[in-house]
Amino acid sequence: MASLDQLKQTFFEECNEALQQIEAGLTEIREGHASDDTVNAVFRAVHSVKGGAGIFGFEALVGFAHVFETLLDGVRRGSLTATPETIDVLLSASDVLSDLVQMSQAGEAVPAGFGNECRTALEHIIEHDQKGAEDDDSPAPAEFEGIDFTPVPVDFTPVPAETEVADGPHSYAITFRPKRDMLKKSNEPLYILRNLRNLGTLDLSAQLDCLPALADLETDRPYIWWTGTLQTAATRAQIDEIFEFVVDDCDLEIVDTAPPLAPAAEPEFASAPVPAMPEEKSVAAPPAPPPDKAPPTATPADAGEPAAAARSPSAKPAATTTRIELERIDRVVNMVGELVIAQAMLGQIVQDLPEGTSGRLSQVLEEVIHHTRELKDSVMSMRAQPVGSVFQRMPRLVRELLAKTAKKVRLEMVGETTEVDRSIIERLGDPLTHIIRNSVDHGIESPADRLAAGKSEEGIIRLSAEHRGGRIVIEIKDDGAGINSDRVLKKAREKGLVSADATLTEDEISNLIMLPGFSTAETVSDISGRGVGMDVVRSNIQDIGGRISLKSERGRGMTIQLALPLTLAVMDGMVIKTGQQTYVMPLSSIVECLRPARSEVSNLIGTRGMLQLRGEFVPLVHLGDLLEISSTAGESGERVVIITDAGEGTRFGLVVDELCGHQQVVIKSIEESYGSVPGIAAATILGNGRVAFILDVEKLSDLAVNSPVGTALSANTASAAKFALT
Amino acid sequence: MPNAVAIKVLVVDDQNSVRQMTRMTLEEIGFRHIHEAEHGKQAMEIASLQPLDLIISDFNMPEMDGLGLLRAVRGHPVVRKVPFILLTGRGDKELVVKAAQAGVNNYLIKPFTATTLREKIEQVMGKLS
Repeated sequence: MASLDQLKQTFFEECNEALQQIEAGLTEIREGHASDDTVNAVFRAVHSVKGGAGIFGFEALVGFAHVFETLLDGVRRGSLTATPETIDVLLSASDVLSDLVQMSQAGEAVPAGFGNECRTALEHIIEHDQKGAEDDDSPAPAEFEGIDFTPVPVDFTPVPAETEVADGPHSYAITFRPKRDMLKKSNEPLYILRNLRNLGTLDLSAQLDCLPALADLETDRPYIWWTGTLQTAATRAQIDEIFEFVVDDCDLEIVDTAPPLAPAAEPEFASAPVPAMPEEKSVAAPPAPPPDKAPPTATPADAGEPAAAARSPSAKPAATTTRIELERIDRVVNMVGELVIAQAMLGQIVQDLPEGTSGRLSQVLEEVIHHTRELKDSVMSMRAQPVGSVFQRMPRLVRELLAKTAKKVRLEMVGETTEVDRSIIERLGDPLTHIIRNSVDHGIESPADRLAAGKSEEGIIRLSAEHRGGRIVIEIKDDGAGINSDRVLKKAREKGLVSADATLTEDEISNLIMLPGFSTAETVSDISGRGVGMDVVRSNIQDIGGRISLKSERGRGMTIQLALPLTLAVMDGMVIKTGQQTYVMPLSSIVECLRPARSEVSNLIGTRGMLQLRGEFVPLVHLGDLLEISSTAGESGERVVIITDAGEGTRFGLVVDELCGHQQVVIKSIEESYGSVPGIAAATILGNGRVAFILDVEKLSDLAVNSPVGTALSANTASAAKFALT
Repeated sequence: MPNAVAIKVLVVDDQNSVRQMTRMTLEEIGFRHIHEAEHGKQAMEIASLQPLDLIISDFNMPEMDGLGLLRAVRGHPVVRKVPFILLTGRGDKELVVKAAQAGVNNYLIKPFTATTLREKIEQVMGKLS
């Protein structure tokens, strides 16, 4: 059984989820696309926080949450309107609540009068609440015995069996929208519809708006949904029974359009049949009616519960979740990693067996490899979290930044449900914060400047996340002034980062700001902080195996793109050999491999060459040179060239001695033992039991430039210069 | 006089921390057979499969709130007579009226002590031994 401390921990976790919901909901409300449900959700979240706080004794939290909740109640009942001013107060209330939660969690004493300004603002708005005023409970949520209620003792007198009488044929409007997983759970919509048809006269039309093009059709996904009417003498229970097994896997709407008595049936989502209000009169022991009001039969409030609005397809299903300690998941991840290594060794052994003997063994091994891959994917997905949890901090950040300037900025967020490995989420916060700070501080201009430039007063920062080509791409795009390339170039020259006569393109100049020691901020502004430059952001991103790229358009804005790996621990790699050394290259960086003829290689300087490939020139780099190993093949020997993608369109041809095949490798970090070695990202254990280093392709391209041959090259050729700045 | 140890009770609340606290409080009073549900649907599943003597449910839950659950219970042929106590964080008259109409047996405001919970249960089920 859980101890009180553990329960408190659980409570704080619940609070954090609630706070995220509140933030998201209030943002929706402010942007004008909130539904009734949104307001309800925010109210419920605050109410939950209050409830739990009361139970665990966090009085300051209870007090504030109560006022917050009261205002939200007024809004959701319609007795208060959510004006922009009200919403602003609600937003700051959410910030205060968040702070109070943090303080309660840290066990800090809440300073007297904390949040009073906001509280007063809330109370002020509440005072103007007309309808709710009399019915409202006392400001302090004390032990409230003020409602006259006679507890109803259990009545054991037998009650005549309730038969659900269908009173004449009804007409029901039905909307049936299978969700993604319905087919996978072996539920065939057509069977269901057939059963429905057996109940009476069914008039349905299939909706085809969700059908994609044939090429994009996934065969195990339902795309068609239906709306229509059913005329039947059957009871509601019988209709619900038909959908009983699929209730979770579809959006279902059954509305009684010709009810016998006043109230319309509420939209169904429970498998237990719920009779319409009038039938409840026959339930045992009707309670003593409260003295002030005579209970009306079909109260307008009840019938008013949302009836016909079709549920949006993006409504989240009731998730079945459970809490697991991270440590446990990490242990499983490690075990899967070891499994992958062992399986690679097995593969090696099978390879070494004499010809013809391995047959069946190879087959089974293939299966094992397949299952391990699936296992790895499942386990990694356990660690996956939606980026929303990091994104959710940004609106508040922007609010705080804006409070200190006269600028107007709107933050748009897209793709918050995109999932990323947990460890990446944790390391994403700081870089994102810094980039957005920069945008607000340096990127977006003052309202006056923006108007003068023909832009709208309000700047926009768009934060998006999506899966793209095996990576997660996060983009931060603003419509500000972009980078002042003249100033940047000047500064770079001053600092000796770029030679005085080098000519650089706009993109190359933009990327200069990520070089270490670069900062054009004349004064260290309070907002952007000190000493944290874009170079730190870049190394943060690279540390988690990602890439960052910048694109700036003078006067139009700037786009920063972060490309992050989907998972960290296991990767597909190509095993290569140079000299006596074996290395592994990430398969994702390899464009193609070839063995060029001598004629296709032109030598420019020393052993460095250029490969002519389909009309393009690709600079060649010897791995042996970069890592200072002598290679075994002679000058004229046939080498293998791996066309490598080092990010941002930079390509070069890596020359190695041999390709040894590709396999899944488990990434083992060596940083603790060896620190950061340029060109080497990590290490792994190959199938033959030997250790191989995993190459850091981006650093390799940096290395390629910094060698003496490289600098000479960069002074002359444009493509190599681009190379230099990646 | 019902015996607390023998009573099978179902606690419904979407907040795990609150559910556990309610469980602890019930155990303090002497209850031993305590089922839990996170939301209305789960509650109805348990209710239709297990014999229950008492349901204690929070009002504030997503998808199906306590009132909705009460109605579902009162409408279900098998479990409709099970005593139902509604928990709420707000002394909301309107809510209590609706709950009364729907057939709730008692209501309780959070946070509550073991003593108060016991009182409320005894009001409905008779003195507990």
